Amino acid sequence: MEKWKRFGLEINNVSLKELLLHPVMLWGYLFLSIGIFGIYEVFHERYFLLSAHAFDAGLHPGSREVAEAMREAIFGAGGEVKREAPWTLYIANYMYMIYTGSGIIFLVALAELFGVEIIKKTAAGFMMFGLGIVFAGLFTIAVDLNILHMQWMFLSPNFGAGMWLMLPLYSIYIPFVLFEIYLLLTHNSAWAKKIAVGILVLSVAIDIVEYYIQAKLFNMNTARHLWTSYPNLTLYFILSAFVAASGMMIVYAYWTYRKTLQEAFDTLIDFLKKIATASILLLGAYEAMAFLFVDKKWAGVMLFGEFRTAFYLYVAVAMVVPFALLSCKRFRGAARTTVTLIAAVMILVGTYLGRYLFVYGGNAYPMSDRFGTGFEKYSEYESIKEVIYYAPSLAEICVAVGSIGVILLVYKIVDAYLSVSSISTH
Amino acid sequence: MNYAMALDYQNCINCKACEAACKEENGVQLGADKQRIWVGQQESSRLGNPFVHFYPSQCNHCVDAPCVNVCPTGASYFTEEGLVMADKDKCILCKGCMEACPYDARFVDDQAVAVDKCTFCYDTRISKGETTTACQATCPTKVRLFGDLDDEKSELVQTLKKRLFFVLKEREGTVPKLMYLLPQNKEYAMSSIGAETTIHTWDAFRSILDAARTKRGA
Repeated sequence: MEKWKRFGLEINNVSLKELLLHPVMLWGYLFLSIGIFGIYEVFHERYFLLSAHAFDAGLHPGSREVAEAMREAIFGAGGEVKREAPWTLYIANYMYMIYTGSGIIFLVALAELFGVEIIKKTAAGFMMFGLGIVFAGLFTIAVDLNILHMQWMFLSPNFGAGMWLMLPLYSIYIPFVLFEIYLLLTHNSAWAKKIAVGILVLSVAIDIVEYYIQAKLFNMNTARHLWTSYPNLTLYFILSAFVAASGMMIVYAYWTYRKTLQEAFDTLIDFLKKIATASILLLGAYEAMAFLFVDKKWAGVMLFGEFRTAFYLYVAVAMVVPFALLSCKRFRGAARTTVTLIAAVMILVGTYLGRYLFVYGGNAYPMSDRFGTGFEKYSEYESIKEVIYYAPSLAEICVAVGSIGVILLVYKIVDAYLSVSSISTH
Repeated sequence: MNYAMALDYQNCINCKACEAACKEENGVQLGADKQRIWVGQQESSRLGNPFVHFYPSQCNHCVDAPCVNVCPTGASYFTEEGLVMADKDKCILCKGCMEACPYDARFVDDQAVAVDKCTFCYDTRISKGETTTACQATCPTKVRLFGDLDDEKSELVQTLKKRLFFVLKEREGTVPKLMYLLPQNKEYAMSSIGAETTIHTWDAFRSILDAARTKRGA
């Protein structure tokens, strides 16, 4: 293929038609169009659904719109955000995508630091795929926030808030990872080699800071004891990200390198399996210990209450079964690869459930036990809630599905021009 | 100034005049879940005798308010008078404040697409020189008493000096400023307050308040 050379990068002269009609892009459009439908639903509910204030009936007597808004107030779903459970699937999906994507980038940086040859050959592809997943997380959170007021993040910053720290974090993190990928792609330039180790050390440090800030974001919510009493949340986020990232890397490797790496593919998969089993062991040990420290009210909901089935399903699907499959030596040849792939997919599903439980579990114990005598109800027409759970809306699910489209499109476009998935021979 | 409120909750008859007055005064969004103030209810029984407790509630205007700490844009902030406010124009709807609040005191105003909460009628009354909130003014059984904790002569401080009181979820460390007066009926007090609740005198609580204000730099 014809190539241009710009800033030390070799850029493929790709046919736009070929790129836009590539099967990966078509899948990306499909997922993204589902996401756009979700955004339409969200924005319709958020910005265009009729609502009435106490003054409206007096100010607009006889108005059909006010009448409709009053009907909505009495018989409607109560608006987009539930008072008792403000964070929902958006946050779970955001967490999953951001942590998994940066987990991949973190693992690749560590493997490069320790001189793992097979990762050195494939680092650019993994990192770009990881960055695509990070973009999927940012896409999700952008839909969740009121984008019309985002200028206040710059104009009126609260430097101590975990939520605000996301802004400088990703403003630094994304260009930094892009720079790392740039260095990987321009591997033959002398200065890139000179600063490579320094950049990798810095990369690991930035990854740790990222998880620390994410932990701070949850830890500052003093009322939600699932989040505040989980011991060393930063460590939990790193371990669980490593598990999800290793599963994602196996799936990506299978998709991208199965044919191009030839014999070395088994070496790559064996390495990723080791990472996955070690991460699962550590996460399993952490989860087993963590609930000794978690507030007993929340632990009760998670382990013995409404969330118990989902929690044990998470333990089985994210950790126990994949660990057994990945450790089993009985499988050979194609069967071995298939079993590894099944284990990886189970890890992806299981860790998603883990994120879901973490977010929804944090809201599960009602705040209404304010006087220490039990739960209250806040209005005449509701029953007392002993656990808070609202199933995700269709719009939220669509946006989460749409974020998969973001991964595919971002990755494929960059790969088409820069061949990040090609095997490095340096 | 340090505005706060005492609540003689034993007097609450759940007439909801306070809820209506709040909505009317502040133009709050309509809907059962859209309340700046509300009356929590708890039904139970003791030795076969059923009873209902009414817990009038709103934002606690905490001295160490977690909602202010987590807000990324300063949309949640303290006034000089120690009130916790929500600036709807600056709210990016991250909902962090709603997660951080231990009292369920915040909700989303769907018209402003921003978080809303009790302001002790700061915009509509207090900043214009009035001395009571709409909920206090309308209450037929005098549940609420609004005032300035820095004014030793105020009716609020005088009441707190005379009566024992408690605050909600003290272990969260938020130092709330809704002071619930201990019911004078012993049986009512025992059934309506949790066993772990700390009962305060004004002198004891004032040191907690002062420490929290010093920490905040107020």
